[in-house]
Amino acid sequence: MAQTWLISGPPGCGKTTWMLNTLKNHQGQRGYLRLPGISTTGLEQADDGAIDQTYLQDQITDLIDLSNTDQAPNDQEQQLNLIELTQFEPPSSSALEGVDSSVIQQLEALGLRLDRALHFGRDDDLPKDDTLEFSRLEAWSMPLERCVWDPNSLSSFWFELVNGAYGDVYRAKALMNLPDGRAFFCNWMVSQGGSQFLPLESVAPPDGRPKRCSMLSVQGKALDGGGIQATIADCLLSDEVLELHQEPQRQQAELTQAL
Amino acid sequence: MSHAVISCLHANLAATEAVLADIDRQGIEHITCLGDLVGYGPQPNEVVELIRQRQIPTCQGCWDEDIIDGLNSCECSYPSQLAERRGHRAHQWTDAQLSEENKAFLASLPMTVRRERLLFVHGSPNSQHEYLLPDMDAFAALERVESSGANTLFCGHTHMPYVRELSGGSIRVKVKQAGEEAASERKLELPMRRIVNAGSVGEPRHGSTEATYVIHHEDSDEIEIREVAYDIERTCRAIVDGGLPEVFAWRLSHGFEYAERADDASHVCER
Repeated sequence: MAQTWLISGPPGCGKTTWMLNTLKNHQGQRGYLRLPGISTTGLEQADDGAIDQTYLQDQITDLIDLSNTDQAPNDQEQQLNLIELTQFEPPSSSALEGVDSSVIQQLEALGLRLDRALHFGRDDDLPKDDTLEFSRLEAWSMPLERCVWDPNSLSSFWFELVNGAYGDVYRAKALMNLPDGRAFFCNWMVSQGGSQFLPLESVAPPDGRPKRCSMLSVQGKALDGGGIQATIADCLLSDEVLELHQEPQRQQAELTQAL
Repeated sequence: MSHAVISCLHANLAATEAVLADIDRQGIEHITCLGDLVGYGPQPNEVVELIRQRQIPTCQGCWDEDIIDGLNSCECSYPSQLAERRGHRAHQWTDAQLSEENKAFLASLPMTVRRERLLFVHGSPNSQHEYLLPDMDAFAALERVESSGANTLFCGHTHMPYVRELSGGSIRVKVKQAGEEAASERKLELPMRRIVNAGSVGEPRHGSTEATYVIHHEDSDEIEIREVAYDIERTCRAIVDGGLPEVFAWRLSHGFEYAERADDASHVCER
């Protein structure tokens, strides 16, 4: 029988990282699902888009998308299904009864039944560090599909973003495309020392704009969405500039093939 | 006698006033300015007029040059598209604000100011755009000072104040003439030379928000690097009120330069 676990916790506590490591170490089939978070008064949920899903799928190529009931079975022998849920407050009970009924209903609709429910900051099976308590949280997000960044501009923008140029940012994560076809999972949390910039395994061909998911998701206080948007507009490459980057890459690839 | 050297004011009136007040308090009458009176900051006319009113000998900085000659000398050294666009925006804003009279003043500024064996430049004796970084190759640094005929070269542009003494250098030359069996050897002992960077009044980049300048105590030939606190909030308000990008105010108030320096800081644009 498959095992299906619900992993919940506040933003930036390390859910995705823990799930990635757990799934990578699992020998059997592996499934993943991210549920919309449970909002609390004054605590806005971030629109993740499909940042986590895309990153995990890139790192674990045979990862089963549990939201797609047609894709694959979810109850194979030795299968481990991990369900991610952003939840600010710990559930009322550590047992499965503590799980919000709306979550149970969503899972039942997908043919999933929970075996365990673990919450960051409460359960000893999960890492204890980096769990923040939020009293107020705004969310801001921006879809960036088919957008490609000037690499040095991305570095400057991210520095400004996480250091407070556009409001008090507590949490920022993104998938960003670079002109050489690489993409990076950018991850920052106020409680941690620095940012993570993790390259995706998949590299897009140097032929126009990549089609993979790309998005920026920010949570914090007094966020200046207009300012973020204006700076991003200054960082993204035009078709002409992108072509200037990609043409030499194509020529190099052709040369390598010819050799 | 002592004289003060200020540089890179960048249209920051509060910082300029605070530095001049600090100089005045010490009874120093002679001041030299190494340029970049304008650029990025919110009060270009006020800063230029203050320098003109005080009749401070000034050489032309890269921003002073660009605002006169058009933006065609600095853009290739921008480290990123974001920095380039912000730089262009600041250039256009400054160009629109600056009076014709003040532009004419900037256009009249010399590339260098010389007082006996002291040479004052914005970037280097070669160009307003060349960075003389504190860790640049010693031979190249010595060449810049020696070829300009100076004992001490005062520069700015990097926004990081420093004093670098270039001593103990020697050049050994072996020459073999046609018909001679052995090469003749000649060794030149190079005299001590010095590069002094005055830092920046209006856009500090040395890890603090305080304005910097230097004092040359001529009797002892010692250099003193000064840091002066100023009303940053006043300048930040003027940035926002003037319609410059708000992020400029954030960067200034955190001690970050408006636009990063190019990766290859030794790059000099060939116009």
